[in-house]
This record gives sequence, C-alpha cells and structure tokens, in this order.
Amino acid sequence: MSTTTVTVTTAATAQPRPWLTTAIIWALLLTVPLWLPMLGGYTALAGRVLVLGLAAMSFNLLLGFTGVMSFGHAAYFGLGAYGAGLTLKYLTASTPLAIVAGVLLGGLAGTLFGPLIVRRRGVYFAMVTVAFGQIAFYVAYSWDSLTGGYDGLRGFSRAPLDLGFITVDITNNATTFYYFLLIVFGIATGLQALLLASPFGRTLVAIRENERRARFLGIPIERHIWMSFSISCAFTALAGALYALLNNFADPMGLHYSLSGEIVIMTVMGGMRAFWGPLVGAALFVVLQDYISSMTVNWMSFVGLIFVLVVLFFPRGLLGMLQKGTGK
Amino acid sequence: MQTIVTAGFGRRTLIKSGLALTALAAPPIISARGEVPVRIGMVDPLTGILSALAASEVEGAKYAVERINKKNGILGRQVELLVEDSANDVGTGVQKTRKLIERDKVDVIFGDVNSGIAYAMSQVTSELKVFHIVPGGHTDPITGTDCKWNVFRICNTTSMDAAAITSDLVKRFGKRFFFITPDYAYGHTLQDNFVKNLKALGGEYQAEMLPINTSDFSASLIKAKAYKPNVLLNNMGGLAQINCMKQFTQFGMQKEMHLGGALFELEVIKAVPADAQSGSWSMEWWWNQPNVPEAVAFVADFRKATGKTPSARHWFGLVAVESVRLGAEKAKTLEGPKLSLAMEGLELPPDVALQPGKVFYRAGDHELMANIFVGDVHPPKTNPDDVFTVTALVDGEKAAGSVESTGCKMVHPA
Repeated sequence: MSTTTVTVTTAATAQPRPWLTTAIIWALLLTVPLWLPMLGGYTALAGRVLVLGLAAMSFNLLLGFTGVMSFGHAAYFGLGAYGAGLTLKYLTASTPLAIVAGVLLGGLAGTLFGPLIVRRRGVYFAMVTVAFGQIAFYVAYSWDSLTGGYDGLRGFSRAPLDLGFITVDITNNATTFYYFLLIVFGIATGLQALLLASPFGRTLVAIRENERRARFLGIPIERHIWMSFSISCAFTALAGALYALLNNFADPMGLHYSLSGEIVIMTVMGGMRAFWGPLVGAALFVVLQDYISSMTVNWMSFVGLIFVLVVLFFPRGLLGMLQKGTGK
Repeated sequence: MQTIVTAGFGRRTLIKSGLALTALAAPPIISARGEVPVRIGMVDPLTGILSALAASEVEGAKYAVERINKKNGILGRQVELLVEDSANDVGTGVQKTRKLIERDKVDVIFGDVNSGIAYAMSQVTSELKVFHIVPGGHTDPITGTDCKWNVFRICNTTSMDAAAITSDLVKRFGKRFFFITPDYAYGHTLQDNFVKNLKALGGEYQAEMLPINTSDFSASLIKAKAYKPNVLLNNMGGLAQINCMKQFTQFGMQKEMHLGGALFELEVIKAVPADAQSGSWSMEWWWNQPNVPEAVAFVADFRKATGKTPSARHWFGLVAVESVRLGAEKAKTLEGPKLSLAMEGLELPPDVALQPGKVFYRAGDHELMANIFVGDVHPPKTNPDDVFTVTALVDGEKAAGSVESTGCKMVHPA
C-alpha cells in the first residue's frame, strides 16, 4: 500500500520545473529558422520533427500516461494522412478541412476499434493493434482506384490558408509552413496538457500506476482506456494529416507497422514519463537519421545502439534523465 | 555549487559550445564560380528491399562522375555527387530532396528507384524549379498522366516492357498465355498491358491474381497445367518471383510450356538458383553486345574500375550523369527550365547510349527511347554474369506507343 502511494507521489512530482523545460522547448521551436541553418539543418527537417514529435506525444498519452502499449499507431497516422489527402484531391482545396477530415477518419477508426481491444492487456493488446494496423495497410495497398495503391495517393497539394482578411501562402514558403505546423502543434499539445492536468488525466495516471486499485475505487477502467485510446488516435491522425500536407503525398508505408515501431522508439528514447519526452525522442531520431544516413547506410544500427543504451542506462529516457539532473 | 545550470551545462561546455556556434555562424568564404563544383544530388533507397538495385545505380553514377571529371567536368566545372538514402520511405525521400536542394544547393536531382518516392520528389523539384532525372522508377504516370516539365526518365515504363516482350513471345511460342500476377497496382498495370498487346495479336489467356507475398504457387501452377498455355507469364516481384520460378522448375513444367515475364535484372538473376534460371524476359540494357565497340570498351573499363560487370542499373546511373553533361553543354546553363528545354529530343552519343540505333529523350513525355533487350535467361555460360542471351532488340519508341496514348500533357513554366 505504502509503496503505491510513494510511486504516485513521485510520478506527480517527476517534473520539478516543467515550466523551465516547456520554456526552453518553445524558445527553441519558435526560433528554428534562425539557428537551424547555422547548424547545417534546414527548415523542412524541423517540420518533420514537429509532425513525428506530435505523433509520438499523442501515442504517449496511451503508453506513458495510461500504461497501455499499442504497436499499431501508424494505422491512425496513415488514416489521418489519407483523410487529408483524399479531401484535398476529391472534395475541396481547403487545408483546414483536410486536417479536420484526417482527424475524423483516424479518430473514428480508433474509436470504433477501441471497444474490441480494451479488455486485452500487455502483449495481447499490442498484437491486436498490430493486426488492425496491417488491415489498414493492406486496404490502402490494394484499393488502387481510391488510394493509388503501392504508388501512393498523389495529385493533391496543400492549399493557401484563407483567413478572411488575409491569405497566408503555406504552399511555397517553407518558413511560413513551418510556423503553420508549429501553431497546429501548439494547439494540439496545449489540449493534451490540459487533458492530462484534468481529473480525467489524473485518472489515467492512476490506472497506469495500479489498475486493480483504480478498479476498486469504482473507476470504469475499460471506458477510460477506450477514451484515452480514441483521443490518442485522433491526435495521431492529426499528425498524419500534417504529414500528408508536409509531403503533399500519402502512401501505404505511412500505415505500416515499421512506422509504429519507430513511434515507440522515439517515445521511449525521449522519455515516456515526461510530457515533452517523445518530442525530444522524435528530434533525436529524425536528426540522427538525417545526418548519419548521409554518411553510412547502416544508420539504423546507430539508432538501435542509442536506443539500447538509453533503455539500459536511462530508463526514464533522455528528457527524464535531464530533468532528474536539473531537478536536484 | 550544485546549481541548476552547472548540473546540466558546465562552464567549459558553455565556452566550447559558444566557440562552436561562432565558428558555424561565421560567413563562408566565397570562391569564384568556376571553382564551385556542379552538384548532383541523388536520392535512392540504399536500405530496404530495393537496396541492391539502388546501389548499382549509385555506382554507375559515381563511375560516370569520375569519367566526366577526367575530361574537364560539366561546363568546365568539376562534378560532385551527393548521395542520400531514402530508406524506401516517401517522407524520408522528400525530406532528403529538400535537404539537397535547400541546404546543399544541388543543381540537379536524381531518384528514386521506388516510383512512389520518385513522384513525391518530383513535386518538390518542380516546385523549386530544379532539373530532375528518374533513372529507375518504372510506373507509367511519371512520364504519363503525371508528367512534369522538369522530370526526365531513363528506364522504361511498365507498359513498354510488357509491349516489347509480348510480340516476341507470341512469335516464338504461341498465342495462349497464363498469367500469375500480384494483386496490386504494378501487377494490374503490367497484366493489362500484356492483355492489350496479346488481344491485338489475336491471343487468348487465363489469369490468376495472388497476394504479393505468395510463397506457395502449387495451386496456380496446377491450374496453369490444366489450361495448357504456350507461355506462363510470371509477373510476381522479388522473392515471390523467384519462388514461382523455382516451383515451376520443380514441377517439371518447362517441358510443357515456356516461362516468361516483363522485366528481369542482372542483380535479381544472380539471386536465383541455377536450376531456376530460365524463361524469356526483357532487359533494359545488357552488357554483352559484341557488335557494339563502345559497349565492349565500356564493360572492360567498368570491370577494371569496379571489378563488376555493369547491369542495366549501372547504365541508368551513367546515362543520368552523362545526360546532365550533354544537356548543360547544349543549354550552356544548369538552370532547370532551360536545361529541360535543351534535353527535349536530345540524342545520346554512342559512348553513352552503348547500344545500336538512335537513343533519345522524347520531347512529348520526357521518356528515354532506348532499345529493349528481349531474350532468354539461362545458367551461367562463359562467366558468372553470362546468364542472358539477347534474341531480339525491340525499338523503345514502338513499344511506348504515341505520346497521346501515355496521357502526358507537358506544360512548361511561363
């Protein structure tokens, strides 16, 4: 009993100065176009970090804050991408509507699929999510006439933003598009933070810490996991929709389980107990991939090595370790 | 002592980081334009299932760069090849393309073996007005319905490969075909083109659509036996293609019917066991052309330089780099729009074409019109790479059909 209490207390105070981390991260994100080129980077790289970071943070609502492991989150990411792409291609040339359609497609798929898996735990939960992911992958792969099959969905591109009084050109200007991504990222992560700070968020953490105890307290566990899963899927789909806008393209590999694995790696590497951990993990993953793959084709070995080292020596992830270091 | 700052960043670290940042932020020394090399960015899937083909393309391009640099480069400037791995993933491919154009300021982009990535890359290159060559992505729309003013392709379209081999198979073996085809876009396109050409020649067929990763073909092969076709068309790809060939041999079916397919590559044949190396296929370039002195000289030189026999993929890489040289010499610039116009109708000289006849980029769809080498695959004869004998050369332009039939409507920027 006492052990459990201590753990919960530690979890609640795991981020002694969350505002400091948040401030540093936002200062860095807001000034990317200024400092990234000096370090040999380019704005499109930062855009990719934001999108994959959002996917990993959304996934972490489930893994880090509810304690349930999904190995099929790429399915919702890919559905979000296809939702946005199909809207732009067949329905209307509106970027906001494309994003909404992507979120709805991925979010609804997660919500409908959720009740089938909320009673599973551990490896069984993970296996069923992989199975659903592969179903989505093969549907996109085989449905040539709608999705473009293996070659991917093409023939669409993001449209300029019409705000009524001004039209923002996010089609050709990389910096403007980066800030557009950053605004959407900010809104999404703000909502996630509010959600986690709410009684619902605290309940999810309670489920993660001790599911049996939470059940005895009268918390409807399955319903909470279902809601957490649905919300996580919707945010992942948002990341997927942004990914389609970033590439002006959607392809079946965006639904593939290998991407699900990468999302898990980013989350664990960055730190799944820290709110911003998955973003740090995504940044590390994307930057390593970008730089090391220019030098050697064995770049995945380096990512794998770092992943193993992080799991062995910093089980809280990179950000978890840094916060622990600065918190004392 | 243990303040927040010192725990994370020590004084020394801070000074070192400051120095490093200052060094990076320092303005670069601008050199004269003549000393700036021509930069070619190449994005190919160096990791993943297409890596063997990608590696050959890169090797071919590197060989050509060395060859050109020895002869005064492009427009008097040395050539530098920057290679990036797309990891067979669209997002990575697009990101690497942007990296090469925005950060490394490349003049030209090559890639990708994966047609989906090649298409996604072409959206970036046309938006940023950079000249783009697709050396080896086969899907039709790249120079068909989705053609772009800045994109040129060296390898054939799927339709060209199918058209080239159909008439040859009908002529040599008969008009009754049985297809084993993977059930996805590439397979469908391939089979549709076979059927179109077969029907035009008055043939008949039966087809079996299978999942792409099929490993057991016994049921389909029994059906094929019952249909008694003249030719069994194996349209599967990768490992499935090899498994199908192995089982075809194990069932002793080579005595009853002939085996054939659209496209085979030297890299893939070498991965097939000797007893399954059989059938009639098309190649997009073949090294053994004793009657073409330029090809003989190239193969000897390439073997000396790399220790390998060049494959069609090596030739794609070579042609890509040489095309930039030829186009730039004609246009006197590397600016995308002007270079594209200069490339339209450009004919490759014999030491680049490395095959008989006229080899040129068709203006209407930017597709390279080269010969298609139709012939028979067999176990190695005189040397380990002597696994294919050419029986016919099919004119690429005839196999491609008219520009209108490709669906390409070329629009140049104003």
